[in-house]
Amino acid sequence: MNNLAKFTIGIFLTLGIAWLAFVVGAREQYGDLTPSPQSLDEDGSVPVDADLFPVDLSGLAKQGAEEYASLGCVTCHTQQVRREETGFDVERGWGKRSSVPRDYVLQEHVLLGNSRIGPDLANLGLREYSDEWLHQHLFEPQSMIPSSLCPPSPFLYDEIDEPFHSDIEVSSGLDEDNTRYIRPSIRADRLVAYLQSLKQDYELPEVAFVEIPTEEEVVTEEVVDDSVIASTSVPTWLQQQMEAGKEVYMKAAAGGGMCFTCHQPNGEGLAGQFPPLAGSDWVLGDKERLIKISMYGLMGEIDVNGVKYNNVMAPPGIPPGSLTDDQIANVLTYIRNDWGNSASAVSADEVATVRSSLKGRAPMQMFTAAELTPAE
Amino acid sequence: MTTDSPDKIIDRSAKLVFSFFLSSAGLWLLTAALFAYIAAAKLTDPFFLSSCEYLTYGKIKVAQANAFVYGWGGNAIFAVSLWILARLSQAEVRGSFFLVLAGVIWNLAITFGLLGILDGHMSGHEMLEMPTEVWPAMLISYLIITFLALVIHRSRQIKETIAPQWFILAALLWFPALFLIAWHGLEINTARGTLQTVLSMWYGQSLIWLWLTPVALGAAYYLIPAVLGRTIDKYYLAIFGFWCIAALAPWSVVHHLEGGPVPMWIPAIGTVMSIAMVFPIAVASTNFHATAFLDIGKVWDSLPLRFVIFGTLSYTVSSYIGVVFSLPAVAKITQFTIINEFHFNQRVYGFFSMIIFGAVYFALPRITGREIPIAAKSFHFWTSTLGVLLLLLAYLIGGLTHGVLAGQPSLEWSSAVIGSIQPYFLITKIAFVILAFSQLVFVVNVWRVIFPNPLRLLAEGKKEVSA
Repeated sequence: MNNLAKFTIGIFLTLGIAWLAFVVGAREQYGDLTPSPQSLDEDGSVPVDADLFPVDLSGLAKQGAEEYASLGCVTCHTQQVRREETGFDVERGWGKRSSVPRDYVLQEHVLLGNSRIGPDLANLGLREYSDEWLHQHLFEPQSMIPSSLCPPSPFLYDEIDEPFHSDIEVSSGLDEDNTRYIRPSIRADRLVAYLQSLKQDYELPEVAFVEIPTEEEVVTEEVVDDSVIASTSVPTWLQQQMEAGKEVYMKAAAGGGMCFTCHQPNGEGLAGQFPPLAGSDWVLGDKERLIKISMYGLMGEIDVNGVKYNNVMAPPGIPPGSLTDDQIANVLTYIRNDWGNSASAVSADEVATVRSSLKGRAPMQMFTAAELTPAE
Repeated sequence: MTTDSPDKIIDRSAKLVFSFFLSSAGLWLLTAALFAYIAAAKLTDPFFLSSCEYLTYGKIKVAQANAFVYGWGGNAIFAVSLWILARLSQAEVRGSFFLVLAGVIWNLAITFGLLGILDGHMSGHEMLEMPTEVWPAMLISYLIITFLALVIHRSRQIKETIAPQWFILAALLWFPALFLIAWHGLEINTARGTLQTVLSMWYGQSLIWLWLTPVALGAAYYLIPAVLGRTIDKYYLAIFGFWCIAALAPWSVVHHLEGGPVPMWIPAIGTVMSIAMVFPIAVASTNFHATAFLDIGKVWDSLPLRFVIFGTLSYTVSSYIGVVFSLPAVAKITQFTIINEFHFNQRVYGFFSMIIFGAVYFALPRITGREIPIAAKSFHFWTSTLGVLLLLLAYLIGGLTHGVLAGQPSLEWSSAVIGSIQPYFLITKIAFVILAFSQLVFVVNVWRVIFPNPLRLLAEGKKEVSA
């Protein structure tokens, strides 16, 4: 310890061994990873003419990655789906499988991140948001998700007084008069191209899509439920509509309604957070209100069976607000007739009528309970 | 005519350098406090300063960490290390001109680096976000300072070295090694894919463990015996503690990659080594606290020592908590949550900064010959304590809530999960205001001693003459 040279060698040795492992060793192990086909032939060779994954980003998206890095998005957003045994990421719907090193080999800046004040973005491109939705969100996140903490980026947009048809309409959820028109700058376009390119939607030899076991449990429940429906000898057309509606209710992927994540598969909701649908005066009551909520969502305080809830229901559907007239009719018929509920079915024509009556309303503009309750 | 004691001569030789580094450190501390407030305010109100592109949350947060670690941390390390090494070597500080010159370069490099971050030239590597253009200036100025620190050490009167010297010298030497490794792997011979993340994570965490931590431990090993006038209890353990940190810390830091897209052995080794870290933590804790509690009354009466013991207690507690949070079962919940903020602030505020405050309050009167009013120091101590505890509790409880709620896939992300931890963001904002206030008091205390009002000096001089 008294000889400076020996001391220096000692402390550099301890550091150097760790360096050998994490830098030299790790590079030796997987520094030469290259894109690969989704699966290999049985003898381990690469199939001829197979597409290789991951694919390189478009030029615009690559520039968008630079914008993403320079604005510091990585401070709040990760881009990694953890393995099932180490996290809940796949269950949360943030990816079809865990991320593996090969997913990142073509990226110039690897922005894994280590903090999630915002959601993980590794598969943002799979959530089927429209470009317009992303622009609206970047301009003012709170106009799309009122509770968002994401800071607005108005400096990426020009606000337009006399809108052209391609300009994007933004209305803040709280104030209806506050409708503005924005024109994305090239930087905003790059960023959106990058965000849309974020997807790990391919399998690799080392990793397959995760089968979520809870889905299987749901299937078994479904069988039981179906027998109940059948035993009460409802007409076939109603049974078909309810089955289609249940699919919308339970589906947590594109084209689904994902209703069960809040209202629960048993329609009981979560006490204090999400109101029940079973026995609900809202569900069994006026159809028009239900249809409006199914198109535009609902926010703020609502009184269900005498209990007050205060939460945000984004426009149902993946992507939000995307349910078709048929789907809305089916899912509403389903929730009005399962779990002991019994009320008249909803038809696609009724939904279409309500939709045309709301033509002037901005897309995604959520209703409030007060708006839906007729003045006395 | 009386001859000055050797300590007086050494202190005088260190005066310029110590004053320079300390006053710059103070300015960086206030800069970081301002950034911390803006970042915290943005989390409670996303529209706060949102139209200004230079101040996005992502940039401000990163700028704060860099200003704190390199600005405040770096300058404070230079000031305290040079003085302690000079005192222990019984050698004068030489090359003051070059030290100040290098210090100016270091500070300019960080200034431009932070401006670069705010202007959108962030590199995206953890704790190396400053644009690469300023890296050479940082490295060169750092090497000049380290070289002159080694010169002091080489001219020491006593060949035998003791614990504070090991820790401080090791920290001074580790930093450029880490910096070069990161520079080489990230920019010169750029690693592909997630190798970048492994390296930048390793660098960022090692910076805390192998640079800030050893300097603070070294200062504690120096100050506790110096104030109490007794030797460190079970001192023979110190060498074991030192080599444990040297051997284990560089391995343990990578456990943060648990579950991520890297080979599984990397976080696994990190976890095992984190658990092994209980040995050096126990050693330091035993050395400090066994000594301090022999004479706890004196610890309480001496303000510098009160700061130091707060820091060492904080080190012990936080390190044990860190071990628990590295266990995979716990990491599954706490990973990616604001517990990360707890760890960072615990290290840099609760431990490192508190010990540095103590060291400064101990050294400054000896170096300048002017006392800091006890009320001002005491006010600083209590506001820092309150601010730090409030901040850490908010991040700890908020982080656990964050993790538990995030683990329930049925809860909607922004309204249910993040919405539930918003009250804690408000508490951290209040804590950062208290801390900013407390640090302002510290800096004013220090500046008033370093740059005294000339009129007051004159008056004091007259008094002395008449006496």
